[in-house]
Amino acid sequence: MHDRVLSGEPLVRSNRLAARYPGASVPAISSITFAVEAGQRVALLGPNGGGKSTLFRAITGELAPSSGELELGVGHPALVPQSERSRLDYPVSALDVALMGSVSRLPWWRRPSRADRALARESLRRVGLEDETNTTFGELSGGQRQRVLVARALVQDSPLLLLDEPFAGIDAPSAELLAALFDQLAAEGRGLLMATHDIEQARSWDLVLCCNRVQIAFGDPAQVLTREVIERTYGSSLVPLPGDESLAITPPHHHDHFEADR
Amino acid sequence: MFDPFALPFFQRGIVEILLLASVSGLLGVWIVLRGLAFYAHAVGTAAVPGLVLADGLGFSAIFGAFGAALVMAALIALLLRRRSVGGDSATAIVLAGALALGVILASDVFGSQGSVDRLLFGSLLAIGTPELVLAAVAALAAAAATAILGPRWLAAGFTDRNGNSDSLLIALIALAAVAALAAVGALLATAILVVPAATTRLIIKRLPAWQLTTAALAAAEGVIGMILAYQLNVPPGAAIAVLAGIVFALVAVAVLIHQRRPRLAPLALTLLGLSALAVAGCGSDDGGEASSSKITVAATTTQVGDLVREVGGDAVTVKQILTPNSEAHDYEPRPNDVGAVAASKIVFASGLGLDAWSTKLVKESGSEAEVVDLSSGLPVSHATGEGEAHADEKEGEEHGETDPHWWHDLTNLEAATTEVETALIAADPAAKDQITANADAYRAKIKKVDEQIRACLNKVPANERLIVTDHDAFVYFTERYGVTSKGAVFPSTSTQGQASAGEVAALEKLIREEKVKAIFPESSLNPALAERIASDTGASSDYTLYGDTLGAADSPEGTVLGAEAANAKAMVAGMTGGKERCTIES
Ligand SMILES: Nc1ncnc2c1ncn2[C@@H]1O[C@H](COP(=O)(O)OP(=O)(O)O)[C@@H](O)[C@H]1O
Ligand SMILES: [Mg+2]
Repeated sequence: MHDRVLSGEPLVRSNRLAARYPGASVPAISSITFAVEAGQRVALLGPNGGGKSTLFRAITGELAPSSGELELGVGHPALVPQSERSRLDYPVSALDVALMGSVSRLPWWRRPSRADRALARESLRRVGLEDETNTTFGELSGGQRQRVLVARALVQDSPLLLLDEPFAGIDAPSAELLAALFDQLAAEGRGLLMATHDIEQARSWDLVLCCNRVQIAFGDPAQVLTREVIERTYGSSLVPLPGDESLAITPPHHHDHFEADR
Repeated sequence: MFDPFALPFFQRGIVEILLLASVSGLLGVWIVLRGLAFYAHAVGTAAVPGLVLADGLGFSAIFGAFGAALVMAALIALLLRRRSVGGDSATAIVLAGALALGVILASDVFGSQGSVDRLLFGSLLAIGTPELVLAAVAALAAAAATAILGPRWLAAGFTDRNGNSDSLLIALIALAAVAALAAVGALLATAILVVPAATTRLIIKRLPAWQLTTAALAAAEGVIGMILAYQLNVPPGAAIAVLAGIVFALVAVAVLIHQRRPRLAPLALTLLGLSALAVAGCGSDDGGEASSSKITVAATTTQVGDLVREVGGDAVTVKQILTPNSEAHDYEPRPNDVGAVAASKIVFASGLGLDAWSTKLVKESGSEAEVVDLSSGLPVSHATGEGEAHADEKEGEEHGETDPHWWHDLTNLEAATTEVETALIAADPAAKDQITANADAYRAKIKKVDEQIRACLNKVPANERLIVTDHDAFVYFTERYGVTSKGAVFPSTSTQGQASAGEVAALEKLIREEKVKAIFPESSLNPALAERIASDTGASSDYTLYGDTLGAADSPEGTVLGAEAANAKAMVAGMTGGKERCTIES
């Protein structure tokens, strides 16, 4: 829809990308054309089941594209997964989890070094968890666990961060800390792609990608986030809330609503 | 009784269990963490076809088992590539295939399964150098892999619940399962590999600590299990498995109580622990026997035990290893058995593969006992399958093996009496007169019973002396007394053979055509198939024969002569539809 002229080398770029799960008859996402450059914060909007996590899986290589192109710049992207997938009963401390970030950087025979441990501690400090390094992961609060997962991504020291709904269900202090951290990371020159349900937050970012199984729009939020685009993205009608400038959406009734293909 | 730790076989068992405990600590946590418990169990069990191949082609059983385990691991990995198949389903599919292949190889290609079974039931009391080496290799490999790849395995498991993707981990678990298989058998391997890690998981929340505690717990359970096994005289593998299960239950209960009512937990745990100790203590006051000047000898089977008791009389103490109604083929030694063998001057074996484990038992017990194989030098011998008239008339000679059930021909029993007599006199010359008198009396008794059995069977016209038995254990009996065996429910002389549908159909046809009146189930086998065939054909299956084992120790069938008399009476009654009966005095 909005063909932007890209300056510099993008960290990730796709052209009419589609990806299909093995055994599924139709692609979970298709016609995805976007790019993330260094220093850019890109919001990814879409309903539940709209394919946000699937796009991340395609970018990390977990799911091969079924058609179209996907190009990655230098370095392997670091993923902060949707936290519901991470295991609360896992026998690890916050530091152990952060340290897992170094494993993907190292050749198979190398154990994390002292420097890696120092980096893991430093990353935990950046997410405000320097006092919780030895706490068992499952005993942390939801917001703290999310911050540990962000710290793990920082340890990977990747130019491109993929954030899958990092603000979902976390406490206000954690959210504030992360929001500030993300701005800082972009300022350091990293590219950020973040799935979110918060349209207002998306408005404050550099670019927005709207996706509901197919791409609805990609571009500057000020131009892209029209009522029509948001309606098509969420597949439901918008209701103006009294006393509020912004638009509210009626949430989809059920997650499975969009899983017609399964 | 003597200090078990002084016995070489016990020491080796302890070393083996300590090696396996370290494997359990290192790998058990990954098995639990990555949801691979069923795989770990299956990969050991699926070693069957490898064991059968190794047995049939004559290469090392350990390589056979490990090879089969690796093939299984590769197949599961392949199946998992197709994401539509879940991990446990893939494992179950491959396991079923492996077991089926094992059965087919065993019954249709190689024909014998006896020694394969023995491998599926390994024993901590019969640990030799190969087992120790294997366990040490598994422990070293697990330690090296954990040191290098541990962080990677940890990270992979954290992001991906079904982390079946680490092929090295999968292969290591296969190696560990095979090592545990050799020590405690396939069925109990998980008790060592998985249960300790699952137990400590309930309390320990951090990885290196979890591995260390698991190794320590597995070692403690292993050593205590060995000692309990020794005191209660049960197989150590089973003792360790039960102990591990009890500890798991105790810890789980304690954790539950701790979560509900924290202050009660230590009390409850102490009480449960004490009661467990009390249970253990109850059986342990199994005092030693008063030692006397009598020599001690061991006998492997019930028949040999009876024979040696008859000849030795009061002059010798006989330790009999197999008990009535236990199956010679899948025997697992108990500590007392090994102790008995270690303390014996002579070990009398039945021979011909029936009790092949006895040689290993003697060797691993560190005993200096002389092994007397009573099957050598028998006057009468028959090949397996001889005298068996299968529907397809296949030649029984094809294996060229001698049927091991020699005592069913009483001339053999007489010859064996003389062998026992000679061996006992050589071991205890002072008791010569007594032993000779016993032997003479027994030989006279054998002759008397033999004549009565012949007279009894002669009541049935020769052309009506037709029987179908459970397995071909009676050729010595049928040949001696002119009985025709028309076939067997289980086709091979080993009790492990599986009848195919075609074989059962052929046997039923034969029973109808030849008007066989009775099928004789055997006392130590499951009578289900015999009863099925009997009800299909209208034959009777009411009369039981004593084939591999004698009756209970204090019953008339508890002696060889009593059992043979009972067999004769049962056959006569069965062959005549219950019209003829006879009495035999033994
Ligand atoms: N592992 C999977 N296998 C098959 N289909 C899946 C898988 N994960 C997600 N899907 C399907 O792909 C679609 C997009 O899901 P997802 O990317 O998780 O959406 P979102 O993250 O936007 O909520 C949904 O229809 C979902 O059912
Ligand atoms: Mg998602």
